Amino acid sequence: MYGMVNKAVENLVTIKFGADKWRAVKKKAGVTIEAFISNDAYDDSITYSLVGAASEVLGLTPSEILFAFGEFWVLHTARLDYGDLLSSAGRDLPEFLDYLPSFHIRVALIFPHLKPPRFEVSDRGPDRLTMHYFSHRPGLSDFVKGLFSGLGKMYETPLTVTQTKSKDQGAEHDEFLLQWGAVAAA
Amino acid sequence: MLTPAQFAKLFPFHFVLDREMRIVSIGPVLARLCPRAVVGAPFSLTFALHRIGLENARAFDRDLIREQQATLFIFKTTDSRLLMRCQVMLLEDPERYVFLGSPWVRRPNELAALKLTLADFALHDSTVDLLQHVQTAYVSVRDAKELAARLELQRDDLQGMIEFANAPIVGVDLTGRIEEWNRAAESRLGVTKPEALGSNFLARFVDRGSRASAAQLLAEGSSGRACGDLECNLKTADDKLVLMLLSGSPRHGPDGQVVGTLMVGQNITSLGEYRAELEKQVSDRTAELEKANDQLSSALRAKDDFLSAMSHELRTPLNAILGLSESMVDGVYGHLNEKQTRSLNTIAESGHHLLSLINDLLDLAKVGAGKMELDLMQVSVAAACESSVRLVTEQANKKGITIGVALDPIVTTVVTDSRRLTQVLVNLLSNAVKFTHDRGRIELEVHGDTDERTVAIGVSDTGIGISADDLARLFVPFTQIDSKLSRLYPGTGLGLTLVRRLTDVLGGDLAVASEVGVGSRFTVVLPWDPPTHSGAADTEQAGAKFDAHGGAMGEESGPLILVVDDDLPSQTTVRDYLCANGFRVETANNGAEGVRVARLRHPQVILMDLQMPVMDGFAAMRELRGTPSFEATAIIALTSKAMPEDRAACLAAGATAYLSKPVALRDLVSTIRSALPNNPQP
Repeated sequence: MYGMVNKAVENLVTIKFGADKWRAVKKKAGVTIEAFISNDAYDDSITYSLVGAASEVLGLTPSEILFAFGEFWVLHTARLDYGDLLSSAGRDLPEFLDYLPSFHIRVALIFPHLKPPRFEVSDRGPDRLTMHYFSHRPGLSDFVKGLFSGLGKMYETPLTVTQTKSKDQGAEHDEFLLQWGAVAAA
Repeated sequence: MLTPAQFAKLFPFHFVLDREMRIVSIGPVLARLCPRAVVGAPFSLTFALHRIGLENARAFDRDLIREQQATLFIFKTTDSRLLMRCQVMLLEDPERYVFLGSPWVRRPNELAALKLTLADFALHDSTVDLLQHVQTAYVSVRDAKELAARLELQRDDLQGMIEFANAPIVGVDLTGRIEEWNRAAESRLGVTKPEALGSNFLARFVDRGSRASAAQLLAEGSSGRACGDLECNLKTADDKLVLMLLSGSPRHGPDGQVVGTLMVGQNITSLGEYRAELEKQVSDRTAELEKANDQLSSALRAKDDFLSAMSHELRTPLNAILGLSESMVDGVYGHLNEKQTRSLNTIAESGHHLLSLINDLLDLAKVGAGKMELDLMQVSVAAACESSVRLVTEQANKKGITIGVALDPIVTTVVTDSRRLTQVLVNLLSNAVKFTHDRGRIELEVHGDTDERTVAIGVSDTGIGISADDLARLFVPFTQIDSKLSRLYPGTGLGLTLVRRLTDVLGGDLAVASEVGVGSRFTVVLPWDPPTHSGAADTEQAGAKFDAHGGAMGEESGPLILVVDDDLPSQTTVRDYLCANGFRVETANNGAEGVRVARLRHPQVILMDLQMPVMDGFAAMRELRGTPSFEATAIIALTSKAMPEDRAACLAAGATAYLSKPVALRDLVSTIRSALPNNPQP
């Protein structure tokens, strides 16, 4: 996993709950790394341990933690690390969503060893699309939902996210129906 | 062939010029960025050739395009907002110049300034990849700066800790040259940092005697290993020595290589001084203790000497009292009437009581002084019990007391001192007889416990018993529970005290159970090795020994005995008794006279007192043993000295046997007999 993901967990816990809680989370997770490097590769188990420990220390379910983490990733971490690039990825939410698959393909080119996830868009309509999410990492669908939710907030566009297929429940990949604008506001 | 719409999607920033340099076609995104660049408008209205490093450049026209078509063209909008990098392609009929390219964007934030999004670029355009790469690099650089700042802070913290630590900290390079020197080092060693830096630590600051260990510490640090707690004497600026407890750890350079050793010191000079002071105190105290021990030893020796002297002084007259009364009762001095005999028996009994008091006192003194020497051997328990009972039988018979003995068949022998065990049992039995009413009963019981590996020998009586309150005073010397009892039951008051102490010496325990008016039970528990096979052989051996000691003595005359003693009553008593038993007797009053008489008369046995005027018994024996004709003559040392070392001294001086005064005359005769050559009977 990207170091920036672990760093995002650190920032989320530190900013929302305080530095003491982050130290408690690290201790509980058995993580002794002083500081994460954004573009370095870390073992996935570190991220899972941190999320599990954060869930215990903060008294939130893993699902709540992952969702909050997804939103935080878009609204804080990605803005901090990729702010201009992120805002240039689309003039509005639909354009951003259209561009999301290409963005991750380019990331995969830059960091082939990090095995980033892959997105595909289908059933594009004026106020909806189906986003397909492919990842070899299990249990991150709540994180992805949080990402989409964060994007809606970033573009100040009402958005509903409905998971229509789940890899955790036997599907080949995760699938989300994204609806925005008036449909979502309703 | 591509349709115009497909071409436009693939090349959103293209434009096509005719030979007059007018715009024939323009990509949709470029058209959006440059509203004046419409079809038919002159190219120069919106764009100008961007010349890099060219002076007096030619005008942008069809000739230049044709000549430079292999070159990258850079155009700048007239408002200078946008740079376009393009490749040109010539079409001949009609003559057209097709420019393909995209805006020059170096940083993601320029996109927003140009009102561009990533979606404005064709997917094949590597501009977006470049921007993502640049952003990634930016993040990496930011991380690196962040880490560097964090490290810088930690380094500052560490430097502060080193600088202001209360312990001297010294860093040296691989050659021992000082590179770190904190304030505590300055104050402890009196050398400022500028003065210390660059000098060799070992040569300048380590005392010669500590250099080897300090060098070892530096070697360990330079090898990448930590090394702890070495005591080193360091020299201060004014050449005083400071005792430091040094520990070292490796110092690392930026590339991770070991570049030297960092040492932390703890000033333990005061600890060393305290230790020296403590050692001196211990030494002084030890000397005082040794002196006190010497004084104590002297006092003990004086006490032993006193006991020995007292023993001598008390036994000597006793010897005469007992010996003469025994001789008189045996009719040595003629026939006695019944009244005389009874009186003499009373004298003898009193003498024996006095003797047992002296013996008990001496034994107690020996135990107290730790001088009780044990003669450990396999002892038959049955024989010890039997002989003990036999010694009190007469006493018991007088009161009509029955003594029952119950032995445990698995208990054959114990490893102990036979004489002391018998002494314990006789004391307990005598005590039981003393405090048991007439026609009472005493039981002597032996029980072996193979699990505990002990033998319990119990003596129970049907006597007056002891109250629980009085049990605590039971073993206090010279104490009888009730002073009235001492009148009813005469005794030394030492018996039970001696039993307890002897039992301790034998490695055993003594237990008492008693009930007033019912009786008492004293139990001696001794360590025991239960037999793994039949112990019959041991039992027989011990039994045989007992039988031999208990044999009867015959009375015959003949052999010549020389009695050497300066105490005339003793000399007379012995002489008369021996004569009455058929021996011929010569006498001498001191050692010198004894040697003279012996050379003249050649006696078969010499009875030699030890403490005599002119020449004592030791010197006399040594002189006789120096004469070949007396090498094999039996010499029996006969003395009132009764301490353990006396026996060894006698044997060393040449005695064949040793008897302590006052000796029972029958025992003396028995000893003489066994000492005679070939045991001839008188």
